[in-house]
Amino acid sequence: MSYLEEDLKAALRRVEAPEDFAQRVLARAASPEARPASWWKELGRLLRPPRVQWVALSVIASVLIPVAGTEYRKQRQVRIEGEMAKDRLVFAMRFAGVKLHHTQQKVLGLTQTDNRL
Amino acid sequence: MTTSGAEGILERVHEGVERAGEGDVIAFAAIVRDHQSMVFSIAYHFLRDRGLAEEMGQEVFLELHRNFRSIESPAHLVFWLRKVVVRRCIDQARRRAFWPKLRLDEVPEPAVAARESDPMLSRALARLVASLPEKPRMVVILRFQEDLDPADIAELLDMPVATVKSHLQRALAILREKLARTVGEIAI
Repeated sequence: MSYLEEDLKAALRRVEAPEDFAQRVLARAASPEARPASWWKELGRLLRPPRVQWVALSVIASVLIPVAGTEYRKQRQVRIEGEMAKDRLVFAMRFAGVKLHHTQQKVLGLTQTDNRL
Repeated sequence: MTTSGAEGILERVHEGVERAGEGDVIAFAAIVRDHQSMVFSIAYHFLRDRGLAEEMGQEVFLELHRNFRSIESPAHLVFWLRKVVVRRCIDQARRRAFWPKLRLDEVPEPAVAARESDPMLSRALARLVASLPEKPRMVVILRFQEDLDPADIAELLDMPVATVKSHLQRALAILREKLARTVGEIAI
């Protein structure tokens, strides 16, 4: 071993911890904060926002929920009316189509009769 | 120390580990007292701050208290304590980006020429070690404070043995050069 390595051993020899080190560790270990929390308590702690945030969230929710509900009802009504209008239009077009077909048949029949004469 | 004496101590330590795992406060206190010097010294030599080293040492033992059931043997206990204090020291150094790194030219020069076991030389060397980057610093501390082999250090630091050896050689070269310069300046 070189002189430097021996000097390093001397420089980095272990030093004593403060006298009351162990007592302080034991006192901290005995305190409730030091005890391991269960996973569900840890999860609860993570999900627990400060009180101010709860209040802000409540206010935002109390405004947004009625507005969103009203808007949803309006949209639903518009959609129902649209569906009904579409059904009526389809029915009218089918009806007009049938009528047109009959008329066309009649016209064709008259044309053939004229030709024979 | 006789073999039977050593075995007796090992047995006592093993019993202590088992009892502490079952919540025995006295056994846990004995384990803290037996290992506080090792944990505190690693933190102190790495951080060069007694208050911070004490706080970190206490945190390490509190973590041990919470995880005592995972400790399997006295050897595992020592390995676990070293691993945790090493990890915490390196985390601490990384977290504090503003950590005041001691520049080599700020190291106080010894007033007299260095000699073996000179307390001033020891202080200067300890400060030079503290100026090394995190990983080489911890390698040097574990090698010369804890007298660990490169293989053991590699296991603690989760790095290849070759990297440990490289850190060690480079750190020694830096320390030798800086120390020689300091001593040379004094001699002139």
